[in-house]
Amino acid sequence: MTEKIRVHPGFYFLMLFFSAVFVMNHAVDDWGRAANGLDNLKTFFYQSLWPPDWSVFKPRAYPQCEAPEWLEVTCSTAWIGMTETLQIAFVSTVFGMTFSLPLALLAARNISPLAVSTFARLLLASLRSLPSLIWAIFFVILIGMGPVSGIFAMTVYTVGYLGKLQYEAIEGMNNTPLEAADAAGLSGVDKALNIVIPESANDLISQAIFMFEYNVRHGTVIGIVGAGGIGYYIDLYLGFLVYDRVLAYLILIFATVLVIDAASVYIRSFFNDERSQKRPTWLGVFLPGQ
Amino acid sequence: MPGGESNQILVQLEGVVIGYSQDTPLAEISSLNVRCGEIIAIAGLSGIGKTTLIKTIAGLVQPLAGRISVCGAEIPKRPDRGNLGYIPQRLGLVRHASVFHNVLIGSRATYGGFLGVLASKDAKEMARKSIEKMGLTEKIWEPVRRLSGGQQRRVATARTLAQSPRVILADEFLSELDHETMSNVSETVVNYARSADAAVILIEHDMKRASNIADKIMVMDEGTLKILNPESMMMEVQK
Repeated sequence: MTEKIRVHPGFYFLMLFFSAVFVMNHAVDDWGRAANGLDNLKTFFYQSLWPPDWSVFKPRAYPQCEAPEWLEVTCSTAWIGMTETLQIAFVSTVFGMTFSLPLALLAARNISPLAVSTFARLLLASLRSLPSLIWAIFFVILIGMGPVSGIFAMTVYTVGYLGKLQYEAIEGMNNTPLEAADAAGLSGVDKALNIVIPESANDLISQAIFMFEYNVRHGTVIGIVGAGGIGYYIDLYLGFLVYDRVLAYLILIFATVLVIDAASVYIRSFFNDERSQKRPTWLGVFLPGQ
Repeated sequence: MPGGESNQILVQLEGVVIGYSQDTPLAEISSLNVRCGEIIAIAGLSGIGKTTLIKTIAGLVQPLAGRISVCGAEIPKRPDRGNLGYIPQRLGLVRHASVFHNVLIGSRATYGGFLGVLASKDAKEMARKSIEKMGLTEKIWEPVRRLSGGQQRRVATARTLAQSPRVILADEFLSELDHETMSNVSETVVNYARSADAAVILIEHDMKRASNIADKIMVMDEGTLKILNPESMMMEVQK
């Protein structure tokens, strides 16, 4: 009798890894160019990036700052850019969620007829198929530069992205409450408002907070094409090759994202199922593994 | 409150084959009539098709063959809104919502509201009464997930009673209840069935419990549904 040879699952991973190395090798024409990369980075870092130019936190020369001295930072390009990015992210998350939820309810196959859900899914997929950066370029062409274009771009992308997360959460919910409602003859609107939304509320809130966090990160990118926010200043100084200022903005973005990440982990813990056991401490949020 | 003539047939099955595939049918029910005010218990081994039968009568699973009529509506046509109350084995409660919200889902089916958002005054009143009958007044604003298994069963029962249905389908709704609560809950359901002339079909493993509530006990065995005669019933109860 022949014994069946069992292949360790790790073997498949190794095969996958080496196939990726093979494909990469095929794509790279000259490995020699990468050899100088580290030296180039050192030169670039010490001659152009370091130390960061913190003057981005000083008030702009024009218009004149009218804030009291201890609030002068609010007249700086770093403050103005970052608050604009946060505003764009907040408004587009709220608007995006307002439009995505009805679409997600229509797209969920457990509560909507197949034809309706297919159409809603196609719509959501089409909104999501273009990244927010492309939507930003589109709206800058359409309505000009500034935060309004950013808000439109991020809202459209939020509808597509959040809508998908939402309908997947709705489809993953326990089906028994819907069965009891179907037997009682409740309408689709009744089921959506009284069963689906309350039952998936924790997931929906948690996803909206995640989306805000995501929009803050991406809000920095869309500024590069003129759709407002801190990205506008990054693009400006990149153009002038003033990399030490760019580094100061990047550090600010990193710090802001870190704070939002931490707050988001903490807030989302209130909406998880077994929240009292899992809620992290503030120290635990910043230092995973605490 | 909806009612009916006491001899009227509310649930009728003729030549019904249940199951999820034509190749592997679970059971064939040649004939079953449940009249107004009648309570029928269905017993049988696990996995034999009792829940599938209840779901088929509720219109949630399509029969493989045969004719099913509930409150005069022949499947696939559904009975009028609110006429059929179903207590699933896993209860089907909205876990994150309050007891009142869950019970209101049932009363809203019959007593209505506005656009699914606002419940009518009657619906709210009916929900409160049902919660009171099930002894859950103190827990009315408590999220369902914080209640014990037995209390959750009572919420599911209250939701169905608040609906004032003409037919109740209950899948093991008395399990996990202590003796006293079980007596109260079953008495409330029996009283409702008698006073509102409603038909009740319930799945019950415990023969003693089934014989206390039901007018008729049926056993699902070898792919058919048989009425248990009084002698067999006594023997099963004594086991």
